[in-house]
Amino acid sequence: MVLSLAVASPAAGQVLIRKRVQQDVPRTGSWEISAGAVWLAAFDLEDRTAELTRNSTTDTSPFEQFTTTSRLDSATGVQARLAYYLTRSVAIEAGARYAKPTLAVRITGDAEQAADVTAEESVSHYLFDGSLVLHLRQVSFASGRAVPFLAVGGGYVRELHEGDELVETGTEYHAGAGLKFLSRPGPRRSGLRVDVGISSREGGLDLADRRSTQTFAGISLLYLF
Amino acid sequence: MRRAAGILVVVAVVGFALPVLGYLKLGSRAGTTTVNLKWNDFPIRYFVTNRGVPGVTAQQFQATVSRAFSTWNAVETAQTSSQFAGFTQAPPFDDDDMTVLGFLDRPELDRVLGATTFLIDVRTGEIVESDIFFNATFPWSTSSAGQTGSFDLESIAVHEIGHLHGLGHSALGETEMRTGGRRVLGAEAVMFPIAFTAGSISDRTLKADDIAGISDIYPTGVFTRDTGSISGRVTKNGTGVLGAHIVAFNPRTGKLVGGFTLTADGAFVIAGLDPGPHVLRAEPLDDGDIESFFDATLGVDLNFSAKFHDKLAIVPRGGGTRDIEIKVSPK
Repeated sequence: MVLSLAVASPAAGQVLIRKRVQQDVPRTGSWEISAGAVWLAAFDLEDRTAELTRNSTTDTSPFEQFTTTSRLDSATGVQARLAYYLTRSVAIEAGARYAKPTLAVRITGDAEQAADVTAEESVSHYLFDGSLVLHLRQVSFASGRAVPFLAVGGGYVRELHEGDELVETGTEYHAGAGLKFLSRPGPRRSGLRVDVGISSREGGLDLADRRSTQTFAGISLLYLF
Repeated sequence: MRRAAGILVVVAVVGFALPVLGYLKLGSRAGTTTVNLKWNDFPIRYFVTNRGVPGVTAQQFQATVSRAFSTWNAVETAQTSSQFAGFTQAPPFDDDDMTVLGFLDRPELDRVLGATTFLIDVRTGEIVESDIFFNATFPWSTSSAGQTGSFDLESIAVHEIGHLHGLGHSALGETEMRTGGRRVLGAEAVMFPIAFTAGSISDRTLKADDIAGISDIYPTGVFTRDTGSISGRVTKNGTGVLGAHIVAFNPRTGKLVGGFTLTADGAFVIAGLDPGPHVLRAEPLDDGDIESFFDATLGVDLNFSAKFHDKLAIVPRGGGTRDIEIKVSPK
């Protein structure tokens, strides 16, 4: 922000003194961009048994052909964020994330002794989300350069199965916490952002019609101006 | 001039298996090609023989087969319809331009509960007439809850009317050999060739495999748009396996839909699958008599062990995933 101090006009025989006062960021109206790596924890999907109708008028339990145990393996990806500071402590941010986890289905217990197998596919995972970020300045440390924060938000999950011929979409909500370690105070600052959180998602390639939770962690370089 | 030929489908399918979508659809050779058996004109008008058996009156028989037709007609992804045209004195299996369902005394067929015959246009595969007989030698029941010791007429009618629509047998079942023949342990298709124990009413309800099959023959636009297929080959030591049974399992829904390799290069196609990842399993066709599924002269290969494919097959919506190769090993 520029503050102009008009002291006098030269035309009137006076001297104009303009002094630029550049405030430290973040402040209201600051922007922050960040980009880095994200790690997504594995999470279990639905277990399912391939069942045949049993030939019995008394035993109604199904005849089990084999059982599948499904899991989305952990993966490392990339993420980028753009944040706008509503106040010095509160920011809203939009983010995008990409990772390529493996969907693994373990098949066991075949009724005809077929060997157990893990059938897999790689999945292209995209997340487009928005968050509200609260910076806890009152508990900052390292001369105020290390600022903890909390974040909550939601997003849109878009996942492409291997071959990119089938897209599945869903929603997610997340909550997390992290730390931003900024360079010395000034109108432009760089820094490092680390965060961890938990994501609750529904839809996407999830094999169950229920919400699943997944933890995540990220580390990014940031630029604040 | 319409040329016609009769085909008999007993518990075993006598005829030809088609290298086509889904599991087994009935077909007929027309020169060097094979054509699907299917009806072109709906509703299918059928007559019922005015004859009952102990425990089942003619009226109960008619009401039961009407429910069985309705079961198939209710499949939302298939376009079929039927209409009861009246009672007749004519027995099934007469070439009389009437589709007739009824009881016949066939004590010599001591393992056959029912059978379906067709009169078809051999050039196009169009079904002109189809009759179903139910073997009066067996005890029958129309009890809503089933009756111990009696075969459920509605269950067997649903199976035979599946044939009447052009469906062959499904191999989605497990059996064990016992003195006197095979016994079903479990099945997940009404079109499995061996009936459940007398008293069971399980086959009144269509399974995913049956629904995929009927929808494949008479698809609605929704079926074509919203389901997909998996195609590929089953090979053993680098060469195709003929007669392998392939099962696609959806780990999201638990649905099982089967198909067969019907050519010497081991090619298969399974249609009518919900979009999403599927587990594939190949097995020899050893849970029923080969003649229940194929022409016995085809040379079906039974010498390999059941095996799961180590990749998930991804079914796109309204399309197909191709080039899957399941490599099996000799026993």
